[in-house]
Amino acid sequence: MTRRLEIRQSVFARDERVAGEIRREMASRGILFLNLIGSPGAGKTTLLEHTLGRTSLRCAVVEGDVATDRDAARIAARKIPVVQINTQGGCHLEAHLVRRGLEALPLDGVDLVVVENVGNLVCPAEFDLGEDAKVAVASTAEGDDKPLKYPSLFVQARGVVLTKTDLLPHVPFSRERFWGDVALLKEGTERFEVAAPRGEGMEAWIAALERWAAEKRRPKAPGGAPQ
Amino acid sequence: MHELSLVESLVTALEERARQEGWGRIQGVRLRLGALRQVVPEVLEFCFQGAIPGTPLAGAALELEEVPALFRCVGCGGEVPLGGRCPACGGPGGEMISGLEWEILSVDVEEEG
Repeated sequence: MTRRLEIRQSVFARDERVAGEIRREMASRGILFLNLIGSPGAGKTTLLEHTLGRTSLRCAVVEGDVATDRDAARIAARKIPVVQINTQGGCHLEAHLVRRGLEALPLDGVDLVVVENVGNLVCPAEFDLGEDAKVAVASTAEGDDKPLKYPSLFVQARGVVLTKTDLLPHVPFSRERFWGDVALLKEGTERFEVAAPRGEGMEAWIAALERWAAEKRRPKAPGGAPQ
Repeated sequence: MHELSLVESLVTALEERARQEGWGRIQGVRLRLGALRQVVPEVLEFCFQGAIPGTPLAGAALELEEVPALFRCVGCGGEVPLGGRCPACGGPGGEMISGLEWEILSVDVEEEG
């Protein structure tokens, strides 16, 4: 005999538990925790290199890659605490891997922890790491059709950073189409355009990070007044 | 691409539940799957069949209930489909209503006798 049991349980129950623990830990420390997602070569590490050197926020980084510690070495060269996670073939990070990484980082006095996810526009969008926000990174060289082709990431992202804007004269890319599609997917996404190594557009991006970090340190009460 | 990870989470969650609640063999699983989970049903089925031998789910059938991606219209509060405009007022979508579901709805468990 067979009995049907209604269970209504998230498949991710175990990972959501870990993500929830990370979220509570970061909330109690007042640390802004971001999950940076973009395809390989979008310029995630370069964006970080030029962000960490310019912001007054104290930062730490979790690097996720299939293999090598090359990205972590680039961040460490900027004297920023960093830990490298190698997924050994895995196409995304999961919360239990990130927790292990966070345990290896000195978090006292840190304002901002960024996870640089494995380069991939699909799978990383599916897994909650306990972050405050996802940030999508896309480069002009990839073409302007990415938001509609990979909507799951772009509808979840609080901010979208368009990188390599210095290539705009050389590549077929319509900014109107790109940002129009971002807005079509979801109203209110924060937009940034940067050519990170040249410093172009970095002020607005860093100002947003500092604003988000300040919000995290002083959480708003439900009525909207600071606690 | 990530279907195998999703299936591993599913099998782990159900093995745990089966152990805690003393279930017999699981013959069927019904899942609710949001469109934004970017899952290819055929790949999910393939990974599921590969993952279940030797678990309480061995031989189980997988049934999917697909949920569309919908957003709350910023203008009138209606439902806006992914990448579209509000059918009622033409406004853009804001807050997500559905699309990220990945939930076990029910299981069919074999009972003694």
